[in-house]
Amino acid sequence: MIESLSGTMKRKARRSLVAMAVAATLMGGCASGDTGAAEVWDPIETPNRFLFSLNRVVDIIALRPVAVIYRDWMPEPAQKSVRNLLDNLGEPVTAINEVVQGEPGRAATTMARFLVNSTIGVAGLFDVATSLGLERTKEDFGKTIGLYAGVEPENGGFYLMLPVVGPSNARDGTGLMMDYLVDPFRILTFNLAIDWTAYQAARYGMNVIDYRSRTIFALDDLEKNSVDYYAALRSAYTQNRADVIRQKREKTDTKSELERRDNLALVR
Amino acid sequence: MPLLAFRRVAMRLAGAVILLVLPALGPSTAAADPAQLVQSTAQQVIDIVKTKTGADRQAAILGVLQASFDLPAMGRAALGTHWNQATEDERTRFLKVVATAEARAYSERFGQYAGQTLTVGKVQQRANGASIVDSKLNQATGQPIKLEWEVRGDRITDVKVEGVSMIMTRRSDFNSYIQNHGGKVDALLQELESRAGR
Repeated sequence: MIESLSGTMKRKARRSLVAMAVAATLMGGCASGDTGAAEVWDPIETPNRFLFSLNRVVDIIALRPVAVIYRDWMPEPAQKSVRNLLDNLGEPVTAINEVVQGEPGRAATTMARFLVNSTIGVAGLFDVATSLGLERTKEDFGKTIGLYAGVEPENGGFYLMLPVVGPSNARDGTGLMMDYLVDPFRILTFNLAIDWTAYQAARYGMNVIDYRSRTIFALDDLEKNSVDYYAALRSAYTQNRADVIRQKREKTDTKSELERRDNLALVR
Repeated sequence: MPLLAFRRVAMRLAGAVILLVLPALGPSTAAADPAQLVQSTAQQVIDIVKTKTGADRQAAILGVLQASFDLPAMGRAALGTHWNQATEDERTRFLKVVATAEARAYSERFGQYAGQTLTVGKVQQRANGASIVDSKLNQATGQPIKLEWEVRGDRITDVKVEGVSMIMTRRSDFNSYIQNHGGKVDALLQELESRAGR
């Protein structure tokens, strides 16, 4: 199967398979608790907790204040434009993931969104596509792995606390890496030798601030109302990802799938 | 003669069985409509948030929690296996302090969420006898938030926000804290009580 693909695709396919194999072996057992509710498997808890406290320091000193200022002082339309731009840059990766997940229809819609928003929507600043009826979806490789892995969605391998990014696990961490590797925008700007550090700082920096500004309330709430913030965050993260993956697996939403196909006719 | 006697015994047995089974069926068929329960609870909370503030609001929300939620069951679930190892005294203290903590938490959360509407969706029956009520919290900006309410009998026993169960998160939280403090429930109780005192 691999032989039939072209050069770069062969490399990518092999890389994806390797990544999947690594991910599969990393899916370890969870400590089984009571009444079927398993605790998140966290074999490297001590380093994780250390990274978590580092993250919190950076968050309290730098990240959260900037996110609060962004949320409170940046005008709502400007915030929306930034979010639209960042979302638009992420559409190709979403489309690639939708293809791998076996949903070419959704991938086509996502690419249509990308084309419409990049042209009519002035480089993605305006989300024209949604008003045309093309709904936005967000897919990442962590969800793709979760879709195909034969384990229950709560099992994402060992829990991992990443610097800046925050809570993750073996599955989602692998997913982040894969998404980063296949991202056409990253590849494009890298190959065109555009000022690399400026691009990275701008794009990923804005991503972090924008995302942090949207999670201020939820994280504050979690911190205030838990006796062990690290454990509560670990549980909340795992449950949220599991729910999203479970929804993907169930895919009972045939109505919206049909709607999407209708919307595709608009673009053709 | 023996046949008649046998039939009489069989009828009596059948009658006894029916009488035994009926009460068991009773609660589940007579349960208040779960969607109705969620809707009315949400409405009560919205009214409280609009009309009261501060300690008044917290007390009123505690009232709603005690009426609509099954707090003892939720407390037991949040403590997990440690419930079995806790003494009677610890259990009472725990239930009391957890109720206060939850009331305060929900009071602060709802204080932020003013002027939003809850749209109640479909109700699903689960195999373990619970009903899951789907709902969406509509915000002025951004996507609606997905809320799922678990209802057993005529009480709410859990709320899942975007797939994150409040009970399960609490359970992980408490479990981790207890394990990091020598496996003693008392350590957790002291922490919760000192927070409640603040």
